[in-house]
Amino acid sequence: MMTGTENKQPKIMILATLSGGYAGADSVGQLHEDYPSNTYILPVMCPCMFPEEFYLRAFERGIDGIIIMYSGTDSPYKGGAERTAELVNSTYKMMKERGIDTRRLRLTAICTVCTKPFLKEVNQMDELLDEIGFVKEEIAVPA
Amino acid sequence: MDMPPRFLPMKKWSLLMPEKHDLPEEEIAQDSPSEGEIRVGVYTCHCGGNISDVVNCPAVADVLSKVDNVIVSRTDMSMCSDAGQSLIEKDIKEKGVNRVVIGACAPSLHEQTFRGTIARAGLNPYYYYHVGIREQDSWVHHDDTQSASDKAYRLMTAGIAKARLLKPLETIRLDAEQHALVIGGGVAGLRSAYDIARRGIRVTLVEKSPFLGGRMSQLEHLFPTGETARDTLHDLIKKVINHPNITIFTGAEVSSVKGYVGDFKVQITQQSRGVSDDIAEAAMAACTTEVPDEYNYGLTKRKVIYQKYPGCYPPSPAVDWENYNDEALKINGQSIVLENNPKTFDLKIGAIVVATGFNPYEPRPGEYGYGELPEVVTLPQFIRMLALNGDAKKLDWNGKPVRDIALIHCVGSRQVDGVHEPQPDGEVNNYCSRVCCTATLQVENEIKERFPDINLYDVYEDIRTYGRGHEEYYTDASKNMVIFFRFHEEEVPQVIAAPKGDTHPALVRFTDHLTYGTELEIAVDLVVLAVGMMPRDIDYLIQMLKVSRGTDRFLLEVHPKLRPVETAVTGIVLAGTAQGPMNIQESVSAAGAAAAKVAGLLGKGHVELDPFVAQVDMEKCDGTGACVEVCSYEDAIALQTFTVDGSQVQRAVVSPANCVGCGCCVSACPNRAIDVQGWELEQYEAMVDVFAMDLPGLVEVS
Amino acid sequence: MDKLKYDALVVGGGIAGMQASLDLADQGYTVALVEKEPSIGGKMIALSKVFPTLDCCSCITTPKMSAVAHHENIRLFTYCEVQAVVENQDGYAVRVLKKPRYVNENTCTGCRLCEYACPIDLPSAFDMNMGAIRTVRVPFSTAVPQIAVLDMDNCILCGKCEAVCPVEDCIDFNQVPEEFEIDTQSIVLATGYETTPIDAKAEYGAGELHNVIDGLMMERLLAPTGPYGRIIRPGDGKEPESIAYVQCAGSRDETLGVEYCSRVCCMYAIKQAMLISGSLPLADVTIYYMDMRAFGKGYEQFYQNAKAMGVEFVKGKVARITEDEDQNPVVRVELIEDGARVVERTYDLIVLSVGMLPGDNPEPIYRVPIAGDGFVSVLSPNSSPTETNRPGIFVTGTAGGPMDIVDSIVTAGDAAIETAAYIEAHKNGHAAQVPADEEMEFTHA
Repeated sequence: MMTGTENKQPKIMILATLSGGYAGADSVGQLHEDYPSNTYILPVMCPCMFPEEFYLRAFERGIDGIIIMYSGTDSPYKGGAERTAELVNSTYKMMKERGIDTRRLRLTAICTVCTKPFLKEVNQMDELLDEIGFVKEEIAVPA
Repeated sequence: MDMPPRFLPMKKWSLLMPEKHDLPEEEIAQDSPSEGEIRVGVYTCHCGGNISDVVNCPAVADVLSKVDNVIVSRTDMSMCSDAGQSLIEKDIKEKGVNRVVIGACAPSLHEQTFRGTIARAGLNPYYYYHVGIREQDSWVHHDDTQSASDKAYRLMTAGIAKARLLKPLETIRLDAEQHALVIGGGVAGLRSAYDIARRGIRVTLVEKSPFLGGRMSQLEHLFPTGETARDTLHDLIKKVINHPNITIFTGAEVSSVKGYVGDFKVQITQQSRGVSDDIAEAAMAACTTEVPDEYNYGLTKRKVIYQKYPGCYPPSPAVDWENYNDEALKINGQSIVLENNPKTFDLKIGAIVVATGFNPYEPRPGEYGYGELPEVVTLPQFIRMLALNGDAKKLDWNGKPVRDIALIHCVGSRQVDGVHEPQPDGEVNNYCSRVCCTATLQVENEIKERFPDINLYDVYEDIRTYGRGHEEYYTDASKNMVIFFRFHEEEVPQVIAAPKGDTHPALVRFTDHLTYGTELEIAVDLVVLAVGMMPRDIDYLIQMLKVSRGTDRFLLEVHPKLRPVETAVTGIVLAGTAQGPMNIQESVSAAGAAAAKVAGLLGKGHVELDPFVAQVDMEKCDGTGACVEVCSYEDAIALQTFTVDGSQVQRAVVSPANCVGCGCCVSACPNRAIDVQGWELEQYEAMVDVFAMDLPGLVEVS
Repeated sequence: MDKLKYDALVVGGGIAGMQASLDLADQGYTVALVEKEPSIGGKMIALSKVFPTLDCCSCITTPKMSAVAHHENIRLFTYCEVQAVVENQDGYAVRVLKKPRYVNENTCTGCRLCEYACPIDLPSAFDMNMGAIRTVRVPFSTAVPQIAVLDMDNCILCGKCEAVCPVEDCIDFNQVPEEFEIDTQSIVLATGYETTPIDAKAEYGAGELHNVIDGLMMERLLAPTGPYGRIIRPGDGKEPESIAYVQCAGSRDETLGVEYCSRVCCMYAIKQAMLISGSLPLADVTIYYMDMRAFGKGYEQFYQNAKAMGVEFVKGKVARITEDEDQNPVVRVELIEDGARVVERTYDLIVLSVGMLPGDNPEPIYRVPIAGDGFVSVLSPNSSPTETNRPGIFVTGTAGGPMDIVDSIVTAGDAAIETAAYIEAHKNGHAAQVPADEEMEFTHA
């Protein structure tokens, strides 16, 4: 019985680092700011862990937008930020090949008190997805 | 700063449980997922209304009870309370729950609490996943209880998906170095060092300037007792320098920090003092280069070879290397140019106390006439001025007698966006600096005592004499005929030069709300700005220690109520005004609390860390070495040779000692043969699937 | 008589006492925590939400209560009161009275069947006499320990509780007070505070006005576990549409002999006003104040948020409160910022922001003096803010003067390190400096 309102909305997944984006999301909560509820946050230690296939698989399953909120230069892991950027770049290439709008994957640095940037990113992605629609409708034949 | 290297587990987790909960041996053995049935207990917390006001917790719990593998689904007003925790313990012991999912406030608050609950009940504490449905759900989706409830259901179902794939892990126990580092030699740093030393733990105290004492040495009398600041300070300094457990480095700064709680590797760089005791006095006398004396906030000058103040510690003069321009000094018939030979020291440290203090707010040129009118000074400057005035029966400023003084509160504090100019970082100082009201009133009473003929005009927003023994300063000032005026925060008082020939050099204009909104102008000889506090510029330290700043730019504690002196980095604590405006009594208390935390951390001789390190699946690894190539940590992972079925093969081997668990290796491996324990790719994929799927039976909220 | 030996005795199981116990226990010291009520938690457990984060009080307090209950180095003695303290060679010999619960502590499971069966309803002190409580009960839902207690003064000995209790011999009407001795090296006083009685000020109605309550009562109305589940005024149960706060109702007041500032009332009034705006979105809240003291970290921003939410702040000390024929309270106040008019304004409900008064006087038992303000005297606040004049006896939390929760937790940490340092220094025996006339004899129970 589908009574929920969620199915009608595109889904945004946020991979948020414990030392950066996840703490930033908690700060936004402490300020009781409002943002769209079709957002699902996963805590990660460092996004350098996820290979390109992880993102593509997520899109194929129906996650319409992914924001990686990493710690950027504040990362406590040597080489983690650079490796994440490399992986995201090569994911973009694969997304293009699959016919997925590359704007669906976004990498951004969010710190523990970056509440305004957090809200901006979430709202921007939400607006983008309203514009370009569900990813499943966009994907060509999966590779 | 690196993340902690991990060692192989030294003790079974069960031995970390409190002794009084002895369990029979057979209960300590664990189910592994491949053997026993997965029995999930899922708990949705109301959080005293903070969650349940928006999320329909009973409805969510009801739908969750129907998810595969869930054998019990409960809600409670407060899962972290003893009663709530008992529910979980009981379910583990009596119902055989062997995976726990809790939906509650942010994990940073109670994840450790619940790990303890689960361990007490006899289950591996890593068979538990915490879902945040407060800061990231109920607190941010206020108006839409339907979506908030649906989201909670989805988030927790994803948590259950991960819980099915959790493996038992062992906490890692590491030896802790019985040595604390205190950064900052002001009252908070000194007190913290002394408290830690008294506990039998070695302390190294590092102070950037050549002298101890910080800003307390620049005060004259302390509230609420009226005691002499420097006497109290010197008592403390004596205790510190005489304590055998404390080593002090002045003229020294932290130059690098590596490692983690229990085993920080800290490098200190110490400047030379510059002059040996035998020639110090002569060098000071011979030196001609002068700079504004920061001890007197620029009211006087000092030489670049100097003592901070009479009676300072260490007493020997020091060279101010930043301003010493290789002046050749004529000493004993010779011409000497002094040289700085910085030395570095490497220390092994168990815990770090940050006590770097504050700077008084420096008004911008023109702000209340500061820097433009010579009659405008800050309160710290005024306190020095009074001290320099000595026992004189009159108070003069710029050669003229002072008859009327205006004191303006909230300069650089309680600033309003759009009304006050922001700081260089674009933010205004919207916080209250806490100490200035009492400090200002104390000085007013002192002036009335020493110079009864001077008229005082106190221009304030609110009088915040909140502390024990502070209200008396306000009532006394009133009795002493200080005249009070009240302005509103958006109506900033103006200070302008009086026209030439006027009786007084300066005019203060404001709208006074104690006289019902009258616009007033006072002619004064002196304007004292009660400036607030700003944190010191310690960006380099913040980078090194990986601690955070709050929006007020002071260092941030983990939780202002639960954990007021701890930072998010285990092993680094805060003491004093580095954390926020506070007076000396409060700084001393905070220093004690910080010392108590350090003693708790190091006192046991070891620290315990979560075991989130990489692990290789030997069956899937075929020795490509991609992991080794991509790893940035020395000796964390290497290829080793093994014999399999008679042939030599290469396989990757992780050294938990040196692995930080970043996971760069995970994405590099072409065979998905490596994972970070507790944060596995498969677990993530299971959660992504739940996010993406159409969930049956979504919560219906009436 | 049982003899028990601990490194430190903490008197008082509120937030300061609990934190001091934890900070000592984490360092490896053994702690006896003595609490006179049947549960630890102090005043904080009864509050709604804390400022400025608006975390629920339970969420802050109950994990500490749980940690204290489970810490291997802490032993809880609830429903116990210290009777006498004698200094000796080894430290302090403390005589403690264990009050009878009339329930067997070791076998009670906290099931509450006795509570449900009891026929007597009493005004609940925990709910500030607004709700009811049974003669036999578990003190409140998150009590630690979760064990029942029976109020013999109000018990009619009907035996219904005993009849339904599933545990044999758990209810025991024959229990008597017991005395025992605790030997300790050091003592930490964390005995907390009281609030200004609501009838203290004649000008504010002397407690007789129907719809004038105090800050603690409003906390219970706002708390999720409160007596009514919503905010209603006690006179007639009406949901108030206009609420006024009277600040400094009991502090900064020479006529009451309380000249000090109670430090927390401005912030708790702002907090309550914000919570009321959430519960009763249509209600108007006005706060009449002398000075708004929002001095701590995040406090000023909290104050500004309240203003932005529509809470009205009016400068003016309320001179008098009366009530009209419909029991609506009326304030008489001079509006400082509005032409100095004296006005009378009617509200549905008035909350007196009562101040903090000293708790138990430690002088008779501990020989620790109090200062002019009635709180425990601290010798050198700028050198050792938790040290008293008696060696080995320290003070923390509101026993040492009004303070909020953050400062209570910080002073508790300071008291812990002072106590630890003292214990270390006296490890090899306590120097006996007991003058003859201070010795006390006590008899065995």
